[in-house]
Amino acid sequence: MSLIGHGNKELVERVMPAAEAAARIKGMKAMPVREQIATEIVGLSYGFFSPLQGFMGRADVDAVCQKMTLADGTVWSIPIVLDLSDDEVKNYGVKEGEAILLTYQNQPMAIMEVSEVFTYDKQFMAKAVYGTDETKHPGVARTYKYKDKFVGGKITLVNEPKITPPFDKFFLTPRQMRAAFAAKGWERTVAHQTRNVPHTGHEWLMKGSWLQTNGELPVEKLLTGVVVNAIIGEKRKGDYIDEAIILCHDVLRTAGYFREDIHLTSLTFWDMRYAGPKEAIFHAILRTNLGFTHHMFGRDHAGVGTYYDIYDAHRIFDKLPPGALNIKPIRVLDWWYCPVCAEVTYSGLCGHNKEKKSFSGTLIRSIIQDGVKPPRLIFRPEVFDLIEESAKKYGFGSPFVTDEYLAKRNPVFTMPEMSY
Amino acid sequence: MAEERYPISLWINEERLEKLQNVGLAGMAKEVLAGLKVLEVPCNDAQKDKVLKVFPMAKFDSATTKSIELLPKDVKDKIFDLVVEEKSLEVMDKFLSAY
Repeated sequence: MSLIGHGNKELVERVMPAAEAAARIKGMKAMPVREQIATEIVGLSYGFFSPLQGFMGRADVDAVCQKMTLADGTVWSIPIVLDLSDDEVKNYGVKEGEAILLTYQNQPMAIMEVSEVFTYDKQFMAKAVYGTDETKHPGVARTYKYKDKFVGGKITLVNEPKITPPFDKFFLTPRQMRAAFAAKGWERTVAHQTRNVPHTGHEWLMKGSWLQTNGELPVEKLLTGVVVNAIIGEKRKGDYIDEAIILCHDVLRTAGYFREDIHLTSLTFWDMRYAGPKEAIFHAILRTNLGFTHHMFGRDHAGVGTYYDIYDAHRIFDKLPPGALNIKPIRVLDWWYCPVCAEVTYSGLCGHNKEKKSFSGTLIRSIIQDGVKPPRLIFRPEVFDLIEESAKKYGFGSPFVTDEYLAKRNPVFTMPEMSY
Repeated sequence: MAEERYPISLWINEERLEKLQNVGLAGMAKEVLAGLKVLEVPCNDAQKDKVLKVFPMAKFDSATTKSIELLPKDVKDKIFDLVVEEKSLEVMDKFLSAY
């Protein structure tokens, strides 16, 4: 099993054995981190963000903003930074050349070897990454919210988070994901990025990308897997709840819409930046590290509003030098409902342009909010039933994110108790 | 050039269908998406902007359908009742005058 990650570098795994960690953290100065940073510590420590070994220093941030690479030239599109206020730097005693224990949920989480404390022009960062400095853009708003100092340095996990149900059985580290692919005998794997409950347009995107990926491989024993890799992270009111997203994807296989031997459901913890083409590159890097060979990109991948052209996220891959990524983009057009063909069909094949009816996740949410059960050709009844069940079990009665869900939902992971 | 119109989709459940049938307006609903019926209430640019401002949870689906979605059900019920009352889909000026 190969453990080579993005940039042809060895997969990063920075997890300290428990006994060593217990001794190492005794008496260390400690600093709490917020949810986003904790999520990114998970990404850094298990190698989701390989070759990064920690939060970026100025040289890497500069290269990302100016050249879409790390300082060493490896392609990278989104800054991974730890921000602090001047007071926090002072009060927690954050100093270059020293280590500090990062805590989450009042428990030790990771050691950071602080290599740099620096400032950076947030407006420049926003414009470089998102192509706009408008605060309406959620990624720009997030950038402006960063506090005034950034702290770079290597991260080592000292306390492994416990993933909570129902997410636990879908969380695989890059090493575990590669082992799962090997166990299934898959030679090729295509990633389906999602933050949505699947309608049949999504289902066919996955089926179409499987066909594209399988290509010339033999078909008597299938050697290609289509793998849902749901992004679980910061939620906005009105989004589907995370539990419904992951469970409804999985039911597509258990209900037989995908064969057991070609489909897997998984997740990655990450707060979407909605950076469109830049986020597409980031997703490609993430899935390279997870061991994927192919990545499907649909219309308006990771976009928001009208900031990006709907196929910007396809075109950006043409601008990369050969060999910059070790994953093949599978570029796909829409699947739509055609009343003449009487089926959900591929817009690259169907000629009934006037009669076709496009549908989107937003449109389906609108139908469900109106209390209407969509037809099975558009939305599988098993998915609809599971949405209702998830609403009762996890969503305080709603399949969509509400204030109550945001306030009372179970955390996606918890930190085990550990003395320090 | 004709002014661009952006529909609000009122999806037809049994209750809404019955109301439409009672006043002889069932034919106003269009069949879309494999038999699913909808009333598409058009908005012009100014009406679209006002809807999105007054109801910030609503979303203009700019990428796929060019329609206004995710209005709360009770808001859509009010628009629907106005359509039935006026026997017309051109109700947005009247609806928005209350806001």
